[in-house]
Order: sequence, then C-alpha cells, then structure tokens
Amino acid sequence: MTDVILEKVGKTYPNGYHAIPSVDLSIEEGEFIVLVGPSGCGKSTLLRMVAGLESISTGELRIRGERMNEKEPAERDIAMVFQNYALYPHMSVYDNMAYGLKNRGMAKKMIEEKVSDVAAMLGLTELLQRKPRQLSGGQRQRVAMGRAMVRDPKVFLFDEPLSNLDAKLRVQMRVEIRQLQRKLGTTTLYVTHDQVEAMTLADRLVVLNKGKAEQIGTPMDLYNKPATPFVAAFIGSPSMNLVDANLTEQGIHLSETLTLPLSHQHRGDIVWGIRPEHLEVSDERNADFALRIQAVESLGAETLIHGKIETEFGNGEPMVVRLSGPHLPEVNSLMWLTAPMSHWHLFDAKTQQRL
Amino acid sequence: MTVTFPQKGLPWLLLLPQLLVTAIFFLWPAEQALEQAFYQEDAFGLSREFIGLENFADLFTDPLYYQSMLTTLVFSFSVAIVGMSLALLLAVMADRIIRGKLAYQTLLIWPYAVAPALAGVLWWILFDPSMGPIALWLKSAGINWNHYLDGNQAMILVVIASTWKQISYNFLFFLAGLQAVPRSLIEAAAIDGASPFKRFWTIVFPLLSPTTFFLLVVNLVYAFFETFGVIDATTKGGPGQSTTTLVYKVFDDGFVGLDLGGSAAQSVVLMAIVGLMTVIQFRFIERKVQYS
Amino acid sequence: MIENRPWLTFASHATLLTGIALVALPVWMALVASTHPASAFGVGHIPLWFGDAGAETWGTVLFEKAGNGVDTPVWFMMLNSLIMALGITFGKIAISLLSAYAIVFFRFPFRNLCFWIIFMTLMLPVEVRIVPTYEVVANLDLLNSYTGLTLPLIASATATFLFRQCFLSIPGELVEAARIDGAGPWRFFFDILLPLSRTNIAALFVILFIYGWNQYLWPLLITTDDAYYTLVMSIKRMLSVTDGDIAWNQIMATTLLAMLPPVAVVIGMQKLFVKGLVDSEK
Repeated sequence: MTDVILEKVGKTYPNGYHAIPSVDLSIEEGEFIVLVGPSGCGKSTLLRMVAGLESISTGELRIRGERMNEKEPAERDIAMVFQNYALYPHMSVYDNMAYGLKNRGMAKKMIEEKVSDVAAMLGLTELLQRKPRQLSGGQRQRVAMGRAMVRDPKVFLFDEPLSNLDAKLRVQMRVEIRQLQRKLGTTTLYVTHDQVEAMTLADRLVVLNKGKAEQIGTPMDLYNKPATPFVAAFIGSPSMNLVDANLTEQGIHLSETLTLPLSHQHRGDIVWGIRPEHLEVSDERNADFALRIQAVESLGAETLIHGKIETEFGNGEPMVVRLSGPHLPEVNSLMWLTAPMSHWHLFDAKTQQRL
Repeated sequence: MTVTFPQKGLPWLLLLPQLLVTAIFFLWPAEQALEQAFYQEDAFGLSREFIGLENFADLFTDPLYYQSMLTTLVFSFSVAIVGMSLALLLAVMADRIIRGKLAYQTLLIWPYAVAPALAGVLWWILFDPSMGPIALWLKSAGINWNHYLDGNQAMILVVIASTWKQISYNFLFFLAGLQAVPRSLIEAAAIDGASPFKRFWTIVFPLLSPTTFFLLVVNLVYAFFETFGVIDATTKGGPGQSTTTLVYKVFDDGFVGLDLGGSAAQSVVLMAIVGLMTVIQFRFIERKVQYS
Repeated sequence: MIENRPWLTFASHATLLTGIALVALPVWMALVASTHPASAFGVGHIPLWFGDAGAETWGTVLFEKAGNGVDTPVWFMMLNSLIMALGITFGKIAISLLSAYAIVFFRFPFRNLCFWIIFMTLMLPVEVRIVPTYEVVANLDLLNSYTGLTLPLIASATATFLFRQCFLSIPGELVEAARIDGAGPWRFFFDILLPLSRTNIAALFVILFIYGWNQYLWPLLITTDDAYYTLVMSIKRMLSVTDGDIAWNQIMATTLLAMLPPVAVVIGMQKLFVKGLVDSEK
C-alpha cells in the first residue's frame, strides 16, 4: 500500500526563490526513504514541507490517501527528530516524551504505559527523571527518538539526526535506528548529507541536487547505474572518476592521444566514468593507460592512489585508484591500469543523462 | 530566521494591552501637550485661545529657560563625571582583590535601591546649615555652608545626593567591564615591563571605553530625568532657579506656576530631544548588534 | 594582579572600606537620628551617637502615625507602596511578555510600526509629559485610585526589549517540535516559553519592583487622599511642615523604613538584581 505520495510538490519562497521546482515520490508503507544531497539542495525543505513546517507552494502531499497541504503539523500524524534534538530543556525526559500525548488529551495511565514501553525499548528507563542537560549526546538522541516513537505516528521524519554525534556513536546509532525502524515498521523519511549513512539506512534513496530529484532508487541501483554524473560522483567513496570525453566511431577519446575503443551509436561530448575500485593494475602491454602517481594513502586494508593520466603532453585528468591491501608504489612513478568495459559509465555531456 | 506561528489575529490580541496603555497614557498626553503648546489657557481652565508658536517664542526668548538648560548641563555632567570617576576607582580596587569581592560588592550596590527623594533627604540632614554635622564641620573649617541661600552649594548638594545613588550602578558595570579584559593582555603588558599604573592607562582604560561611553549616556539620561525626586525633596529647584533642571521646570511651571501652555511647550521640546536620543540610541544598538 | 605587592592589596582594601563608609554615612546618621526624641535636634546640634528613644520613634511611625502632618501610620503606607510596586511590576511583566511574544513569534502587518511605538516609550519618563498625563488620568477619573497609581506606568519598552532578546535566543526547532507535538500558540507560551524565561522574569522582577516602589512624583500628584499615600511620597508631605516644627527623628525613621524593602530585595537577591541590571541595558 502506498503510504505517502508527493505529487509535483514544489516550493517557491515569497521572495521568488525557487527552492524546489517539482518532486514526485511515492513511498510504500514501512519503507525507509533517505533524502540525500549536498547542503542547500533542498532536502531539509522538502522534509519540512512533509512535516507541515513549511507551506507547499505547488503540487499535493497525501498521507494514506488524504490531502495534507493545509493541515497543521500536529494533524498530520507524523513525528520528527530534529538535528539538535529540540528537547524541551526545562522538562524531564519523561515529560519530553509525554508532552505530545498530553496535548492530544490521552489519559494519564495510557501515557505512562506508552512512555515506559518506549523508554524500555530505548534503554532510557533509568533516565526518565533527568533533564536533557544531564544527558550525553547519544542519550539525548535516544530521547528525541523516543519522543517520536511514543506517538506511534504514521510517518517518522528525521532531519540529519546524527550529525551532532561523534563518529563512533554515529555508526552505533545508525545501526540502532535501522533496527528500530524494521521492528516498528513505520514509514520513514530521513534527511542526511552523508552518503554512507544514506546507503546503509535506505530502502530507497532520493538524490537531490538544486531542488531536483536526480535519481530515486535502491542503494545498489544508484551505485551500479547512476542516472547522472552528479549521482555518480555523490554515491560511493572515494567518488567515481569522471572524465570529459568525446565519443566517435573509433571509441571514447579521453584526450587527443588516448582513445578507449568502443562501438556505440551515440556521438559527441560525453562524460566517461569508472569507480576507483574497478580500475585494475596491469602491465604496459595490456594497459588502457598509465597513471603518474602523485600521492599514496595507505589505510592498511586498502590503498588509495591519486594520480593523473599520463599523456604525451604531460599530465591529463586526475584519477583515483583503490586497491585492496597494502601497496607502496613510488610517488612520480608510472602505474599501468586497465579499465574493464563492464564497469564503464557513460553520460551525455549535454543532457547529463546516462547512455 | 525565527520560526513563527501562522495565526494572523492573535498577535494583535497579544499586543493590545501594551498598545492601549501606550496610546492612552503616552500618545494621548503627547498629543495634548502638542495641542496645549499652541494655546494660551487661563489659570482656571475656563477659556483658551489659539496663539500659534507664541509659547515656543516665549520659551526661547526667556533667559530663565536658557539658564535652566545650562543648569541641566552642569548638573548632568557633574553627576556623570563625579559618579563615574569614583565608581571606576572602587571597581579597579575591587577587581584587584581576590578575597571578599562579593562582600564589598554587596556593601556598595545597595544605594541603587534607595528612592531619589529619600537620597535627597538623607544628604539634606547631613548638610543642614543649622544642625547638619557636615555643614557644622565645614563652618568650623571656615566655609559658610548654607544651601538655602547659596545656589552653588545647593547644586553641590543635589549632585552629591544624585551621585551617591548612581555609584552602585557605575561600579557594577565597570567591574564587569574590568573582568572582561583578557588576562593575557595584562600579562603581556607586564612582561613588556609596564607598571601596574601604566598598564591601567595604556591597556585597561582604552579597552573599557565602550563601557565608559555606555555609562556616560546612561548617567546623563539618569541625571536628566530620574533625579526629579532629589531636587524636589531638597532644594525645590532653588534657591532662585539655581537647581531648576529642564525636567523640574516642566513640573514647576505647570503645577506650581500654572502656566499650562508654557509647560506644554517645554514638554514638546523635551519630547523632541528624547525622540532624537531614541533614534541615536537605536542606531547605536543596531550597530552593536551588527558587529557583535 | 600580576605582581604580588602587599601594600597595593592593602591600599585596595583601604580604598574600598573608605568607599563603603562614605556610602553608608548618611544611613548611619539617619539611624542615629531616629533614636533620639524630636527635642534633641536644634540649632548647632545633632546627636552623633545612638540615643534611647529609638523604640518609641519607630513604634510611633510604624503603627500610629508618621507625623509631621501625615496622620497615616507607616505600615499602612507600606501596604500602598507594596500594592503600587507589585501592580506596576506584574503589569509591566505581563504586557511586555505578551507583546514580545507577538513581535517575535508572529508575522503581521505593521509589526515594525508597533515595535517603534513601544520603543518610543523607552526614553520618555512620566516626568517629561507630566502635565498632560495628569490631565488624562484626571479625565478618566483615576485620581486617588490604585489603577491611577499603576496603570499609566506599566507600558514598558525596557521589559519588552529584554523579553524579545530572550525569545530570539530560543531555538526555532523547539517551536517546531512543539507544533508537531500539537501545541498551539497559547500552549507553547505557557508550557515552553514561560518556563524557559523564568530567570529573566525573576531578574526583571527585582529591577521593576525597585522602580515601582520608588515612584515619587506620580503618586505625589495623583493622590490627595491619605488612603492612597505611598511611603516614598509621604516624605515630601512630611517635609512640607514649617521648618522649625520638623520632627527629624520621625522623618529619619520613615525614610529608613521606606528604603528598607527595596534595599532588602537588592541584597537578598543580589545575583538576580545584577543580572536584571545588565540584561535590561543590552
């Protein structure tokens, strides 16, 4: 069953700024959708429009088939976890979690029951009488989630909830959020700028760029078949090597002297891409091209080699190679590489669409 | 950007009490003052006559009005400068010491709570020419103190009483200002070989200048408007007109002299001055906000 | 400081102690004077040490009559002063909270104009526009009433500004969280905003209480009925007696009693008082 539908939803500010031209998205019940993109791409605005904190300028938002555009946030049956948690500083953990229920006129007994259930699920039982300032970052994060969960809403909204935590806690909370969402089965919309977070959490991802949905799909769809160079560069770390090139009947011209043979009906300017992990070390005879090594980052389990494609006219396009295990090539030496055709990504330079 | 509620009518309801009080007890009287300033009214309020700018013309040709302006300036700057100097001295001393700071602060700030009129009465008895201990002591030292007769002495008395009340305020702000001076700057100056005295005048005092400027404004405003009680309880503006400040004159001409038109004209002039000061202060606040 | 110079520290303490002594001098004198019978004051003579009539003087002014033409006892005028001070304080805080709430958390036409109108009252003390304000209050038939004593003084730009500053520092996400939790404007005001502003309210309370208690000219003008005399203004009435007949002991006792409540508030709530002073001048 389709739970949340955004139909040609757009946002124009009173000053005329087009924050979001038009976004279409339908979310299935229980699905975990992540909105991801660089800062300023409109992902938070979109989330806040779903929450009812920003008005919807054009299009329609439906939750369980009901039009929501004019509804107050409290009437939409959603719950939200904020970036700074937005816990009421003068209320105890218990009161923070109970506040929304009290406002809805729920019986005291029932509130107690619900809060203690959720608190137990999140390991907050011991902390119920504390004030937010007496909690650690991770605990506050849990309270914010608890406040959302007690309401048992139709939709969870998360606005970069992990960005204020340190790296270790972030990973831990990430796993926890995913487990909880699976257990509760609540439809979730989650905003982040961190692509690792996005890939690990999402059933489906929406990659936003300048208010436009560049691609909507599962993490593996986006990894294997990015629809645009933007998505290609955004998903995956280190990001995909993208080279401006030209496609003729001889193949792909990466530079005047370097051509990768390919027969393809498309002609003209393209963007050619390959992920760092798909480049393979080979010898001079079989190689597609050579890399002049500029820097080596040894991470133990893997090695990242930064360099530039060697051409007759000196250095060409920059490129990153990711090799597993330790490698210690000399800086400034040449490294011969092959780029297996099955891992190529081709995009039309003009339309920015995948070929 | 602040997040707001969408209601349109509610904010007016919320503002209503404040706007009503402002309209009834501020805008209406202001309008009345403006109107009265253009009329001449007999003392019984039975008839009045439109006389245009005559009240203002009278005001600005009246030497007593100029004298009152001068009195106000002398009085205000004396209060500001004496009060700030003493408070700065005490604040520097309090900043130096480590133990007992709070106790000293407590013992210095309480005069803030004393009503200006009471402050006037307290100092009056000390300086009463016939029995005040200070007056008697001055007499034995060869100074004939009688503020009932001597205008300058009356001025000194109201300055002392007004300053006394304001020292606490200046002290608190200077102390806060001093504590905000980064220690590392003072330490650097000490390493550069500056003596404590020199350090104060070359490092600390310049850094205090925003506080000093702010206090100067506050003190002037205080001396201008809030010392009515001091003057009224001790000298009643006398002897002669020697302690009649502009604000006192508005009251004196209006309620004692029953010159309603003249008093209203003075109110209008004062309101104009206040309006100007408001604009200046607003600019000042805005700039402060921008730069901070 | 950096150097450890004992004589400098000594000089600091000496200066401060001198300052404290000078500041306390008039109060000391008043205290001494209030312990002598009225006859002890005469030409060339004022007592410099405590006498034995203290209990009598204080008892008289406090419970019988303040003297010098004022027949009301001090405790009664204290009550009036308290009513006026609390009326002004609560009034100012209430209407300022509401208007700051409107200005910060709502968008409506003429918002800036309202802001300016309120701002104009900031620097216009009642003394400046005393005659027309008196007339307005007289026209409204509010002379000799508690309403007349308090209402004209409760418009407050200072308090509105302070609360505006305080509200602006509240994170927007908190408002959003409250909206999602189903709190409307009123619920938000009472459940979130007021509890979060309570130290600011308390600090302002101290300052405004002193302001209200110390009102002088206004009660002097609009009260002619003994029943509405406030303590501070009664001093003026007491001093209006012909010179030779002034009972200084009673005046001094009354003066000390008049300054006692606000001074006690300042000393007892020193922290809040300092915060209030600093805040209200931002």
